[in-house]
Amino acid sequence: MRILPVARLFFVSVLLAAAGSSTALAADMIKIGALFPMSGPGSYFGVQDKQGVELALEALNKSGTKFEIQYEDSACSPLPATQAAKRLIDQYKPDVVIGEECSDATLAVMPVLAQAKVPLLNAGSSSIKITEPGNPWTFRIMPNEVMQGMDIATNAYKRLNAKSAVLLYENTNAGIGNAKVFGDTFTKLGGTILADIGFGRDVNDFTSIATRVTGAGKIDVIPTYTLEGQGLKITQALAQAGVTKGGGGGAIQLGTIWLPFGFEQKAGKAAVGYIRIVQFDPTDQRDQVKNFIQAFKTKYSQDPTHLNAHAYDQIMLIADVVKRGAKDAQSIRDGLAATKDFSGVTGSVAFDEHNQNIKMDTIHYMETLPDLSWKALGWN
Amino acid sequence: MLTVALQQGINGLVLGSLYVLVALGLTLIYGVLVQINFAHADIVTLGAFSAYFFTHAFGGGYLPSIAVALLVGAALGFLINAAVFAPLRERGNELLPLIATIGVSVMLENVMLAWFGPIPYAFDSPYSERVIRFGGMFFTAQSVLIIAVSAAAIGLLYAFMKFTFLGKALRAVAQDRETAGLMGINPNRVIMLTFVIASALAGMGGAMLGPVLVLTPFAGASVIVKAFAIVIIGGFGNVEGTIIAGLIVGLIESYTTQVLGPGLIDIVVFALLLLMLAVRPTGLIAERREENV
Repeated sequence: MRILPVARLFFVSVLLAAAGSSTALAADMIKIGALFPMSGPGSYFGVQDKQGVELALEALNKSGTKFEIQYEDSACSPLPATQAAKRLIDQYKPDVVIGEECSDATLAVMPVLAQAKVPLLNAGSSSIKITEPGNPWTFRIMPNEVMQGMDIATNAYKRLNAKSAVLLYENTNAGIGNAKVFGDTFTKLGGTILADIGFGRDVNDFTSIATRVTGAGKIDVIPTYTLEGQGLKITQALAQAGVTKGGGGGAIQLGTIWLPFGFEQKAGKAAVGYIRIVQFDPTDQRDQVKNFIQAFKTKYSQDPTHLNAHAYDQIMLIADVVKRGAKDAQSIRDGLAATKDFSGVTGSVAFDEHNQNIKMDTIHYMETLPDLSWKALGWN
Repeated sequence: MLTVALQQGINGLVLGSLYVLVALGLTLIYGVLVQINFAHADIVTLGAFSAYFFTHAFGGGYLPSIAVALLVGAALGFLINAAVFAPLRERGNELLPLIATIGVSVMLENVMLAWFGPIPYAFDSPYSERVIRFGGMFFTAQSVLIIAVSAAAIGLLYAFMKFTFLGKALRAVAQDRETAGLMGINPNRVIMLTFVIASALAGMGGAMLGPVLVLTPFAGASVIVKAFAIVIIGGFGNVEGTIIAGLIVGLIESYTTQVLGPGLIDIVVFALLLLMLAVRPTGLIAERREENV
């Protein structure tokens, strides 16, 4: 069919107008890419992160700037995370990316996003390498492994009067890094590390490790850095070996924010006396926390976890930056870098020159009581 | 120190018994079909989940749940062989069933992911909480149960293979499928029986592993690589070799944890595997390779 020149001109004009209107629409739409582990041993992160994200988006999309999200399974592992990040960049073209949870995966995607000049907002990876020596495109709202490790070691030594420790950790960047910071700080304060035990994520039976721990001497604390599944088995094995308070022993297990809420109920009596840090305090009396808990319960008929909360905060921080005028990747990056007084449900956010949140009120110490409920220790 | 050494010996035997339960099914299938079954791991996982739901959702006892897992495993073995492997074998291409086992494995894993979700389940066996302590050592009633069930499974399998007509038929097919067919044995039925027995063992292994493993849809996959190594070290398809290799690997893991650290377990186990392949490629029990099961 032959198209007349005038008709052709009209057709091209319509196409150009459509493209122009699409650009105008794009300014009112912020595209968020989410790199969450949806498969493998860290997939509980992804499930809970998504709940927090959906709750935040539901509230935000009722008015004003619209936020759209695309999830990719980054599997808590460097290779799938890198592939997922490339898919996001090539196909979805996000203005900002949130995730990953596991440090190894976050470290792997950072160069991909930096090259594409898309900011990455992280809430769950603790490796110091993520923000040191610094990457202008990566921001982290949780305290890094040095901040966490020093705090836990200092509290163990000064508040629990611990003088000896056994380090248990998975052989990953985060596991090794967290354990090292604890060990260095604890030793500097005058404590002794009786055993330093790292293991792969494929270890299933922890009875042999618990046996080795029994032979280490008198242990006061056992800082443990694992994902939920292995964490459960370690806690139960240490109790069976009679090492920890949950098994009638004297040692206190210390845990990280890696563990989800509900861990104690799964571990049972073995978890009694367990002290761990969480990124969200459900007993916090601030109105925004109460409202968040209420909204979460209404939507999901369950209590929110710290993973739900930190994912919620990631979206709310992006919304805050957009409210301050950001509308694309570059301005979102600049807005994040200028954040000094954001208040989220997990705590407050103020980034330093390395884009690391310097506020420590995002971690909260909890002790597991005999009925498996929590007692907030109020150490921060 | 002696106490710790003895304790690690007990730990190793318990872990080895679990590995044997998983590896026995693999070795049976390899012995009869000279085929690796990658879906075996997922039958282990489904066995664990069926025992979990029987005890936690339906209020059943843990001991009956072992029988439930065994039956679920057997039924899965029957169905998968009838629906996938048998039709592919009939086409005469040995590669197709092997590839199919990978496909079935991925499919089952994702079905479980959709049904059960990715979050770890806490499979509490009442026997895990009963800790027995003596002379500075400890073990749970679950450990005793694992060794007892493994020993019973090995004994029954041995008796079945040695003294029953079907067992002898299975050995005959393993030795020479065509000649066995000429003697009036239906090889396809025997192969079906092999899959059913192997999968029943996998299901039962899952029920025993459930309280020990981190129970997710990927649980079986975490032990299957070791089970493959055990089958190779034991002597491709040799039941006795598999039992010995399973216990050796369990003991190696325990003592490596104590002496070198758990981070080196895989290096030591797979170094042993490479050593076996280099020095004794037919496995621990090589002289009976011509009659594998």
